[in-house]
Amino acid sequence: MARPPVSIPEIVRQFGPTLNRIPANGWKADQEPDRIVKTHCCFCGQQCGIQLKVKDNKVIGFEPWEDFPFNQGRLCPKGVKRYMQDEHPDRLKNPLLRKEGAGFAPVSWDAALDKTAGEIRRIQQSYGNDAFALLGGASLTNEKAYLMGKFARVAVRTANIDYNGRLCMVSAAAASKKILGIDRSANPWSDIPKAKAILVAGSNVAECSPITTHYLWQARENGAKLIVLDPRMTPIARNADLFIPVRSGGDIGVFNGMLHVMIERGWINREFIARHTTGWEQVEEVIRKYTPEYAAKIAGVPASMIVRAAEIWGPAETSFLLHARGIEHHSKGVENCMAAINLVAATGRIGREGCGYAMITGQGNGQGGREQGQKCDQLPGARDIENPEHRAHIAKVWGVPEESIPHKGLSMVKLFEAIHDGQIKGLLSICSNPMVSLPNNAYVREALEKLEFFGVIDFFMSETAHYADLVLAGSLMEEDEGTTTNVEGRCIRHRKVVEPPANARVDWKIICDLAARLDHAEKFSYNSPREIFEELRRASQGGVADYYGMTWERIEQENGVFWPCPEPGHPGTPRLYEGNKFGHPDGKAHFQPVEWRPAAEEPDSEYPIVLTTGRVVSQYLSGAQTRRIGALVDQYPQPLCEIHPLLAGKMGIAEGDFVKVESRRGSVTVRANVVKTIRPDTVFVPYHWPLDRAANNCTVRVIDPVSNIPEYKICAVRVSKVPPPQDEIAQLEVQQGGVR
Amino acid sequence: MNEMEFFIDHSRCIGCRACMQACEECDTHRGASMIHLETIMRADSVQTAPQVCMHCEEPICAQVCPADAIKKTADGIVQSSLKPRCIGCSNCVLACPFGVPKYKAEINQMMKCDMCYDRTSIGKGPMCATVCPSGALAFTTREQIERTRQGVAIREWSFGGEVVKTKVNVLVPRHVHRIDVSVEQLGMTSTDEYDVANLLMGEPNGRK
Amino acid sequence: MKARWNSDVVHAACWGLLVAGILLLAIYFGSGRLRHFDAALVPYTGAAVFAAFGCGYRFAMWLRRPPTRSYWFSGWRIFFRPSRLPANIARLLQLLFNDFLEQRFIEKRSKLRWAAHWLIAWGCILAAAVTFPLSFGWVHFQNAPHDQHVYRAFFFGQQVFTFHLGGMVALLTFNILDISAVMVLTGVALSLWRRARDRGAIAVQQFAQDMMPLLMLFAISITGLFLTASTHLLHGLNYGFLSMMHAVTVIFALLYLPFGKFFHIFQRSAQLGVQFYKDEGQKGEQARCIRCGEAFASQMHVNDLKNVQSDLNIHYELPQGRHYQEVCPVCRRKSIALAQDGTWRELRTPETTRTLWPDHP
Repeated sequence: MARPPVSIPEIVRQFGPTLNRIPANGWKADQEPDRIVKTHCCFCGQQCGIQLKVKDNKVIGFEPWEDFPFNQGRLCPKGVKRYMQDEHPDRLKNPLLRKEGAGFAPVSWDAALDKTAGEIRRIQQSYGNDAFALLGGASLTNEKAYLMGKFARVAVRTANIDYNGRLCMVSAAAASKKILGIDRSANPWSDIPKAKAILVAGSNVAECSPITTHYLWQARENGAKLIVLDPRMTPIARNADLFIPVRSGGDIGVFNGMLHVMIERGWINREFIARHTTGWEQVEEVIRKYTPEYAAKIAGVPASMIVRAAEIWGPAETSFLLHARGIEHHSKGVENCMAAINLVAATGRIGREGCGYAMITGQGNGQGGREQGQKCDQLPGARDIENPEHRAHIAKVWGVPEESIPHKGLSMVKLFEAIHDGQIKGLLSICSNPMVSLPNNAYVREALEKLEFFGVIDFFMSETAHYADLVLAGSLMEEDEGTTTNVEGRCIRHRKVVEPPANARVDWKIICDLAARLDHAEKFSYNSPREIFEELRRASQGGVADYYGMTWERIEQENGVFWPCPEPGHPGTPRLYEGNKFGHPDGKAHFQPVEWRPAAEEPDSEYPIVLTTGRVVSQYLSGAQTRRIGALVDQYPQPLCEIHPLLAGKMGIAEGDFVKVESRRGSVTVRANVVKTIRPDTVFVPYHWPLDRAANNCTVRVIDPVSNIPEYKICAVRVSKVPPPQDEIAQLEVQQGGVR
Repeated sequence: MNEMEFFIDHSRCIGCRACMQACEECDTHRGASMIHLETIMRADSVQTAPQVCMHCEEPICAQVCPADAIKKTADGIVQSSLKPRCIGCSNCVLACPFGVPKYKAEINQMMKCDMCYDRTSIGKGPMCATVCPSGALAFTTREQIERTRQGVAIREWSFGGEVVKTKVNVLVPRHVHRIDVSVEQLGMTSTDEYDVANLLMGEPNGRK
Repeated sequence: MKARWNSDVVHAACWGLLVAGILLLAIYFGSGRLRHFDAALVPYTGAAVFAAFGCGYRFAMWLRRPPTRSYWFSGWRIFFRPSRLPANIARLLQLLFNDFLEQRFIEKRSKLRWAAHWLIAWGCILAAAVTFPLSFGWVHFQNAPHDQHVYRAFFFGQQVFTFHLGGMVALLTFNILDISAVMVLTGVALSLWRRARDRGAIAVQQFAQDMMPLLMLFAISITGLFLTASTHLLHGLNYGFLSMMHAVTVIFALLYLPFGKFFHIFQRSAQLGVQFYKDEGQKGEQARCIRCGEAFASQMHVNDLKNVQSDLNIHYELPQGRHYQEVCPVCRRKSIALAQDGTWRELRTPETTRTLWPDHP
């Protein structure tokens, strides 16, 4: 019975999101903190260093951490205000049990854990092991991500565990692995300022990874040329040397067109290609037809822009490619990324100072979260769950028979399809808010409503938790300790800053307690996250993402250690592929020919406009945390539909008018923001809000065949002016899904 | 010359507002943000304008203050109005060439950026410049700036006939020695350079 | 410049002498031609006369500053406009109640600051209201002829009231300085507590400006209380020394009054004038920004500021008859960023812009 027990406005009234505007102990300047703890921001994969001030087990403020090399004290507004999530009135402090018609009522931990374990047992006995699924998240520490994978395979013994990194990093990961052999940014950020040409594809750096802006500027001060691909003129695009306002989904046109020009003009490193790569012939063959004119039609930009991009990128002495969700969130996301990485491999500018490639991770532990075995197809150390050797190694570390480890399960979107189809009957999720973050929200809701049991571990009542039978009050990042791996592949330490409040528990303990109730206490008998890390190290040993040589002490002393770090004395590997040694068994990079193909849903006469979605700087992912911080909500209170005046004019839409953005699946009603900084065939709505303000009401539930990432960046919509909505949802506060 | 100085490069700003959020944390005005950040004209551009107090050598705000409430410290920092003296008249708010002072009606007092005096007076960086992710605001040495930036740091401005010298530096190309401010509008040509529709319009000149 | 300064000094000195002279006359006549004047209090009186000179001088000097003068005359002109006078008087009473009696604007800055200031302010006002008239001989007490236990209070030679020695009024009257001393000491303690802990205050406070006055108030109050203690508890122990110490602290404070932080007591009155100026401005025409067209201040204020600026040699005149004072603060900030960005556009102009518009500057 996974329906909300009372109306959603009723739940919202009780559990928020409400706004925290005032720090614990007030806006005072007369309190000396008991201690100042060096840790990291939890919002986004940059994982900036930050110091939190603590008094009486309360976080009362922050202080920049200028000695941490990655961000040197720099923070975005989310980092600055992150401490306002502590001491929050909405904080869940007890396990909550769904009571039909009444809401959620506190229960004891014993009752909550017994019920969860009981439901897992019951569902698995009735429908089979795989009928109970687990859903993890990429904002979990490495330790928790590892624990989730082990919990699924050892304690629950279900194949069906996946995580919300599936909505984020998997296209980049798959493409990187296919061509270069390793799923990780190839270079540390310190290489960016040394590059002479920089290509930023599909990344609104200023809003989604603000700290990277400074690296880009450093490069430009050193004389670098910056090329930006984006359907919107974002803040970094405004100043770029070449801004290519590419049509959403047209990126392959730009990349292949650039490569075509580079081949034509001899800006290809033939020697490197011959010695260190395979598959170039097929690429050259495919590229032949991508003349600038042909490519321009795909990309939806003037051909001269593509030529100019090649002129900047081709002959550059050093170069750096950065890409993010803009090219990855497509049903051809992997292909988009491969076409981009081909540009790097064709010049041989990788694996040395100032030359390289990086994917900009989105989620807090976007990198580490995908290596420790909470992906449906992976075991710890970024190992392949279908590889017998890999299975054997992990079975040994876990002390279980190899055959007891389930095989590949369903990825996140397919998992929800299986729930919708009735194959999966129970779900336990942590660190995930699919009611905001998955495409086609209506479908997600239908799926959740079909679950026989839905358990959620969370610290706030997320929009997804409304549908839970049981909500287990877990821990914030700063209430637990562990490690994450940042955008560069640098494993860093999150220190425990405060204890969880009242009756809330640290997440790893909840998982271990559940494992014990499933008769696996001895395999989950950790006393601390450090013991989990020790096991993780061993589990990762010999894998691609090898953490074996790391210890928490080293990570602290060295301000992070880059994997692979296979031996205790090993310095870690900030830059991959040095000496042109690539991650494939043959040591070579494998070119992948890429042909452009249309998106799953291109605009047509009925739905003539492209909708693309993304983030704003003041919000993080589904907003479960950042929609509760007053200062951040004030900065950008409600989603706006960015629309070009040429398009708006056709429909009589003026700035501030309410518009209905409607796809075949659903609609969102928001105010219009009429701006010239977006392509006139495209509208943009940020996705951080729930209910009638969820951009994902419209997006299409189609995934990339390889990575299984959903196509968030393009679907067909129509846009019309509507009167201001007056319904019950519209009346809610903006952070709750209302409008102002 | 290894003294720490404040440098501003408006053109780098990405409008993220980390500076405004962090400014609230400064102890001399905790809970109230003193830095300004304007979106210049969102309909046309994403360009933004950050503005801290420039700490003029001869502060016009202090000259026009009837209550003699604005004082410059020996180290050149123009402080917020003295609480016992400020009578909340807003002369400074209207006269400051940089548009910096803020009149707080609820406390009937002018407050302004004091370069985080609680921090800079004990060797820490100001909040805004420490957190600024784009480097639009920086608190560092002149030597470091000269090593890492293309431009030069100058501190001379003109507003009509008024030449103003400031403690805070602004970064400009090497040939510029003074920024002459008038009534500036976005878009220096009649065609709108930030209009994506224009960028998409056919083949640019001279290229096929 | 020098000549101007000299004339300012002469002008202000005349005002100072005038104020001091008025005080001397008031003392002479108020004390019944010195009949009720206690010669032992001459040092106090001398200091008070000096303070009167200093305050008059300083106030006049202050009013010579163009912005102050502008507000001073505008404020009074607005206040005394006949049609508005009754309403203005009512408004003045309201302002006095809020800003002077209750000092609510300080409460909004910080409750602690308000409590400290209110206690110090009213402690000092009470004390001054008692000691000045007493030492100037404006007030004196006599026994009632028919009853030793009844006192008669005279003000400027006129009997104003009588009271019984054992009653509340007597208790209050004779201990009012102790009460005010306790108020001041509490306020000083709160102030010091705040100033020792608040990192914002610690950063900007200066010893001479912020600590000295508190120490002075502390010294006056504590020596005053010692006098009481000496009289009532210690049978006059060290009374002579203590009274000298008290006199020294009071005299020192009086001499300091025109020049230090205490002078804000007089400057603060301008707050009331500004209120009338603002009220008037709001009713009148509004100045519209020449860049964005939005109203941003009263036209009167903008015009007055332009005059003040011309007195101060500030030249905001722009080409084509425009004036930078007519640009609102928001548009100034935008103009500055645009001007700065403009200097870079030449070097950093996007390639697309350059090719699309080759004549781009």
